[in-house]
Amino acid sequence: MSLEEAISTYVQNGDLIGIGGLSFWRKPASACREIIRQEKKDLSICTFVGGIEVDMLIGAGCISEVRASFVGMEVFGMAPHYRKAVETGKVNISEESEASLALGLKCSYLKVPFMPLKGIIGTDFPKVRKDIKQFEDPLGSGTQLMALPKIDLDVAILHVPYADEFGNGNIAGAVWLDDDMAKTAKKTIIICEKMVETEDIRYLPGKAQLPMQTTDAVVKIPFGAHPTSCYPIYTFDPLHIKEYLKTDFEEYRKNYILNKTNAQYLEEAGGAQMILNILL
Amino acid sequence: MSEYSKDYTIGEMMTVLMAREVKDTDIMIVGVATPCVWAAFTLAKLTHAPNAIYHYIMGNTFVFEPRQVSLLYLEMNTARAYRFQNTGECTLESLPSDKLTTIEFFRPAQIDQYGNTNNICIGDWNKPKIRLPGCAGIADFSMFYSRGSFLYTPRHDTRTFVPIEKLYFISGVGFPNGKPSICGGVGPQCIITNLAYLDFDEKSKRMKVASIHPGINIETVKNSTGFDLIIPDNIKETKPPTAKEIKLLREKVDPLGIRKLEILSGKEREELLDEIIEKELEMENRFPKLLHYN
Repeated sequence: MSLEEAISTYVQNGDLIGIGGLSFWRKPASACREIIRQEKKDLSICTFVGGIEVDMLIGAGCISEVRASFVGMEVFGMAPHYRKAVETGKVNISEESEASLALGLKCSYLKVPFMPLKGIIGTDFPKVRKDIKQFEDPLGSGTQLMALPKIDLDVAILHVPYADEFGNGNIAGAVWLDDDMAKTAKKTIIICEKMVETEDIRYLPGKAQLPMQTTDAVVKIPFGAHPTSCYPIYTFDPLHIKEYLKTDFEEYRKNYILNKTNAQYLEEAGGAQMILNILL
Repeated sequence: MSEYSKDYTIGEMMTVLMAREVKDTDIMIVGVATPCVWAAFTLAKLTHAPNAIYHYIMGNTFVFEPRQVSLLYLEMNTARAYRFQNTGECTLESLPSDKLTTIEFFRPAQIDQYGNTNNICIGDWNKPKIRLPGCAGIADFSMFYSRGSFLYTPRHDTRTFVPIEKLYFISGVGFPNGKPSICGGVGPQCIITNLAYLDFDEKSKRMKVASIHPGINIETVKNSTGFDLIIPDNIKETKPPTAKEIKLLREKVDPLGIRKLEILSGKEREELLDEIIEKELEMENRFPKLLHYN
């Protein structure tokens, strides 16, 4: 399946989309560029830690809500479009911590409405999250707990180094919330760097953290996480991130996103020299 | 103990003070984009805490050996972990555990006299003047640590150290209403700043001056803090870095000066960032250099 087909088939306006990876690391950036090309609207984005991919989607006007424990550009500074959109009220925030996201997805596969956490208590989260609640252990220990609600994703979009044609996906480095997203989302799209045989997956450490029965589409886009990383193949591209931060978004969209194939995108982003820069 | 260094920057002073908090038995959480913390932990590994273990948030991986601090190749540092299968479960299991994580440094955008912190927004949450990136795991972890949480900021001023009513959002729990959190952690232990080493009064849990850095006047510390600090009668001076600590930091732990990205600002910072990127892109071996004890 092509990326264009995968996004047009499985991503609908208004969906709650889970984005894999963390910060500048293993983000499905090519899929985000395709979402921008298809002018999807009103998406809610759920990701562990958001970076340039969330910022781009906001810049393009695709997002109405963000659920992330952090959205920023690491040592490069703040995420400019995210910041502006929140400050002007154009994007809503569901304030999240790491545990509220991890537990929300866990609720989804356990099919329970909430999970208890012995944390967040004492913070101002309950003031801005009307859907979380402190309660006392119903079994009588007297412990105060925080109830955190279920997160049911419509779609999970995950970038991995290796997958087979059936949708078995292997992640070489950190998995983060990707496996929980894959097994709970109504639809899961995997974008891979390399298409391998099922036999190869058996011998990769971790095997198929994303098993084929939870995958609806698998698409091969080499360097598709650029400008973020995909361990063990390449790291993030600091020069492109700097370029993004100093370019007006409309110009960026024209130069790097609209009407660009993956090959054209990579050429615009620096071609062979860029690839040599980021290869690990 | 080698001699005290006469040539160090305030950022190096902070890094060394952070390193001195580490114990040989610690499991040290290294976050993302906190090179000062990473440099401090690596310095501790090379000096007094060789058995401490890195817990990289980049995968909740556990790594024993120290390598040079890196901007672009963090994953190559964590690649040689003896556990590299991080999932949401690993985040959750770390939370209440005294075995998987023991020491973490948080950098607050705002902090009040009881060590409550804010990394969410400046101004009302519904219509913030500044939306900050967020608190990541601070809301989960700050109230848990049995060894307490550790804080640092290179910006000791009245924008960071604010009275309770100006703390716009509590996203990290200190001593709410002057008492330890009901979740069981012992609360914040210290705040290491560019001016002083601060801790908390045992009874009132209010912030107090433990020592001020050489060359810093107590009036400067007072005027840079937006609430009344507890100030002891005899104010101690912070022990400066030793010559050995500074040499290790500059030559082995972080020769590219990546830690300084947390301290510098403006044009100077931009230039350093460009220089670091250029030097790291030139590296043929993308495993940051393995470091050996002494």
